[in-house]
Amino acid sequence: MSEVAFLQLIGLSVVGLGIAVLLFIKARFARVVGFVAIVLGLFSITALSVPQMASLPPVEEKFDVANIKTASDMAAIGQKIFFSKGQCALCHSIGPSESARCPDLKGIGAKLTREFMYESLTQPQAYIYLDFRHESQPKEYPARMPYINKNPIGLSKNEILSVIAFLQQMSGEPITVSPSEITQASDTPPAQAKPAQTAAVVPIHASGLN
Amino acid sequence: MGNHGDIRPTLIEQYRRRAAQVTGVAVAIGLLALPALGLAQDAPTSAATAYRDIPQLGGSRNLIWVIAQLHLLLAGFVLGVPIFAWLCEIVGWKTGEKRYDKLAKEFTKLLTSSYATTALFGGILLFMLIGFYPKLMAYLSDIFFPSFVVYCGLFLIETATLYLYWYGWDAMQGTKKPLHLFLGFLLNVFAFFIMIVPNSWATFQASPVVIAEGSDFARAWAATWNPTWWPVNIHRLIANVVLGGYICGAYAGIRYLSAQTAEERDHYDWMGYVGNFIGVFGLLPLPFAGYWLMREIYQYNQQMGITLMGGFLSWLFILQAMLIGVLFLGSNYYFWLGITHRIPGSEIKYRKPIMTMLVILLLCLGVWMTPHSLVASLEEARKMGGTHHPLLGVFGVMSAKMTVANLMILVTFMSFIMYWRAGKEETAGWAKVAKALMSAVLVIAGIVVIVLGVWGYFVPAIIRINYFSVAQVLIVLFVMLTITPLTALLLRSARTTTEMVWGRMPPRAGYALVLNAVMVILLMTLMGYARSSSRVHWHIYGVMRDSSQYAFSPALGYAAAFMSLNTFLFCMLVAFIFWVATMGDKAKGKDPIEEKKQVPVGAYPAMAGGSQTLDKKH
Amino acid sequence: MKGGVLVRSIILVVGIYIFLKFVLPLVTAPLPASLIFLYLTLTLSGILIFATLSGESTEAFWGPIFRFLRGDGQEGAMKLARLAVLLLFPLLVGWQTYNSTAPSDQPPGENRTIHPAPPGEFVGLSNPFQPTPENIAYGKGRYFSLCFPCHGNFDGKGPAAKGFNPPPANFSDPTTIAMLQESYLFWRIKKGGVGLSIEGMPWKSAMPRWEHELSDEDIWKIIMGEYDGAHQKPRTWE
Repeated sequence: MSEVAFLQLIGLSVVGLGIAVLLFIKARFARVVGFVAIVLGLFSITALSVPQMASLPPVEEKFDVANIKTASDMAAIGQKIFFSKGQCALCHSIGPSESARCPDLKGIGAKLTREFMYESLTQPQAYIYLDFRHESQPKEYPARMPYINKNPIGLSKNEILSVIAFLQQMSGEPITVSPSEITQASDTPPAQAKPAQTAAVVPIHASGLN
Repeated sequence: MGNHGDIRPTLIEQYRRRAAQVTGVAVAIGLLALPALGLAQDAPTSAATAYRDIPQLGGSRNLIWVIAQLHLLLAGFVLGVPIFAWLCEIVGWKTGEKRYDKLAKEFTKLLTSSYATTALFGGILLFMLIGFYPKLMAYLSDIFFPSFVVYCGLFLIETATLYLYWYGWDAMQGTKKPLHLFLGFLLNVFAFFIMIVPNSWATFQASPVVIAEGSDFARAWAATWNPTWWPVNIHRLIANVVLGGYICGAYAGIRYLSAQTAEERDHYDWMGYVGNFIGVFGLLPLPFAGYWLMREIYQYNQQMGITLMGGFLSWLFILQAMLIGVLFLGSNYYFWLGITHRIPGSEIKYRKPIMTMLVILLLCLGVWMTPHSLVASLEEARKMGGTHHPLLGVFGVMSAKMTVANLMILVTFMSFIMYWRAGKEETAGWAKVAKALMSAVLVIAGIVVIVLGVWGYFVPAIIRINYFSVAQVLIVLFVMLTITPLTALLLRSARTTTEMVWGRMPPRAGYALVLNAVMVILLMTLMGYARSSSRVHWHIYGVMRDSSQYAFSPALGYAAAFMSLNTFLFCMLVAFIFWVATMGDKAKGKDPIEEKKQVPVGAYPAMAGGSQTLDKKH
Repeated sequence: MKGGVLVRSIILVVGIYIFLKFVLPLVTAPLPASLIFLYLTLTLSGILIFATLSGESTEAFWGPIFRFLRGDGQEGAMKLARLAVLLLFPLLVGWQTYNSTAPSDQPPGENRTIHPAPPGEFVGLSNPFQPTPENIAYGKGRYFSLCFPCHGNFDGKGPAAKGFNPPPANFSDPTTIAMLQESYLFWRIKKGGVGLSIEGMPWKSAMPRWEHELSDEDIWKIIMGEYDGAHQKPRTWE
């Protein structure tokens, strides 16, 4: 018996039980409970009568050092980090956007060197002017950009390098981060190797119509 | 059975097969997230557990589901009842009517025991969360620690205020009543803050913001002030009032059904009326709050908005429409039963208007419950050219839904006005003009709402959302705000032709009240599932992934079974609390409404739906 | 008039059923059974609510039914009718149950989400090109060479459309692209049917994955041409 059928059976039994209570039992409270049972049973049966669809999580991307062979592997991982753990997309967009709170990163890899990007991610305060509007010591304007290598985002050096690789690739630049820079003794355990999803570079004419 | 039934079992098997792998991933994630544990970054890495589970008891997710839902429902009840009781107390104080004060006290009595039960479930929930989701909880504590402290502090004050409010009830009658009312006010203020602090944790999970460097307090504050925090606060606040009102109604309904004496029937009939009134009163603005919340979600993240409204949860909103529809029908049915039974001889007179309102309500419901993509067999889909019906497909979009929701609110409001005016005859010279004006306002409002709804198909979405939908809401609010005072003014000088008689309602009225309460609770459980599932496979949307075996969101049928279970458990808990709290009354053999007969007649407000006063004036 | 309410109610339900099942299909596509069932349920609940408003109307509605079922003082044809109902009703229920559980070669009713949520990468993008006449004309040109075979003249009725189930989207319908942001179209054109998430049933869409044939620039311009040609405006925020 399928799970839906099983749940339908339970729902029907609950409704039947409720009807039986209403038919044969005089005690008021029991009758009300029977009535509630009928209502809840009917609700469940209705919910079971619509097409059932569970939402499955997508395949998990892992940052697995062992599988990084090429610079574009790194960029593929960097893209995943950009849109998940790195939280970059909470504020930044790639391409002009109406909902973005912070600068558009389209073409950023072409505008900035990788060293500058690394610094921006790890020392967002570095080039922000001080606030001289007060009499006393100049204060720092707090940067809206968080420290990416610290809490709560806390990307490792490997991860930041991957994000930079992604930003460069996305801007159409040659990736200057090489896989050899990834520190092997990193924070990822060489756990069961599952092929990290690679951005399949399919030959242009091989895609076909699906 | 249909193939669609097999989705979940295969899913679970699939996950079981991957169990070892998942554990490995969990460990990996745990290590990756070490910095998030609040340790210094160079802390020695020990194997941190990301998840724990008790598969024997149905799995951690299901356990959390039941406990969290019960905690939330109880909390809604505990926060809704003081608002309800306080409103009743004010009415009692203003009108000098003892029965309102008694009603308020009767419900406050429930508070102490239900408060403890809520806290109990909160405690269980907390232990479970810490046990099952150590990684997530560590992350949240790291951000929200200051608000944990605030939360604890609030609890202390709230408890103290509650004790003063309840145990001081009798001592603070008479001249000290304003002080007591002030205590009630404080109780509600603290309760509100107790609600919004945890809301910030839950809404942060749904709509996280980036937290930059700063003091602990600044970081907690930044995370608290996330895009959906206030919409959820307001939505929940109103919903709690609705919950409190309808549960009061259901309680009165059950007591009415089992009432032995005429006095009891009178009292509980009246109490059912008050409960239903407050429930409806809260229900009318609730869709607006919901709309605001949805809008913020869309604006925060289009992806989440689509998941909810057009994606895998879209069927859930059809179920929601169904439940809300039953709720609207049930509330109106109760009003109409009140007219035909409490006002003898009015049946013929009100048959036609009731029929009209019923037909409008049903038409609106028909539109509301028509999904955008229909369930159709292969054959039917072929004939329609897809799962979109060429004609009825237009009912599936927001413009139509907003319009009918507004119309339903208008009709329900009219039901109430009709009930209020039933059995009375306006004597004022300007009554004719006023009545004509009121009908004109109503008809024009209805037409404008429909015109805006239809027009909404032909303008860009942004104009519809920003101007048309808002205009519709404002029109409905305008109708309520003009007709209510006008009616009150009109009835001040009205003559009662037929006296309202309490205690004559048929048993189905009691069941209607129970049905309404069950619908509200079911709705809360349903939307709880929606809120939680809209995050799909994220603990914190876009930030921390759920890598446990329970990362999938179950299908609606499976979820509905849990919603029903939770609703049932909650109803039983509340029944138990009511039973325990009223046990003392029975033991004393005291009739809770012995003073009813000496009810002094003051100015009956709309809430009383009463007419005795007006009669006395003449 | 004895039983008048009851008779009228039955006439109403049957009338609505006939209207939905046989009259409406004369002007538009037939309704699926699920929708007819929904509307009939609503009608029935309306009748029940209206009939049970007062004691008298309740009696007028339920009285004949109960009396008939109890068989008080029935004779002849009535008695037979009662027996027939009491026998046939359980059979009807049994038949329904059998029908809904028996294995069938019909696929289950499907619930394809037409507009599932796009992946995060495509959320919130906006068209980087200005809607100048040149851009629009370019986009329309590409549209007519690549999209026209299926989507036709923006109405989903291209020469090749007949072969597809579900049919290609009709852009002139205000419930399709007018409800969506440009970034959504960008995603659907770039990644095609196979890029849909599971609730969108990727296996049911014949939309090609255009990312290998078209540059991003072309896609953005086609989107522009599409909206212009269909006389729709993309959904925007603020």
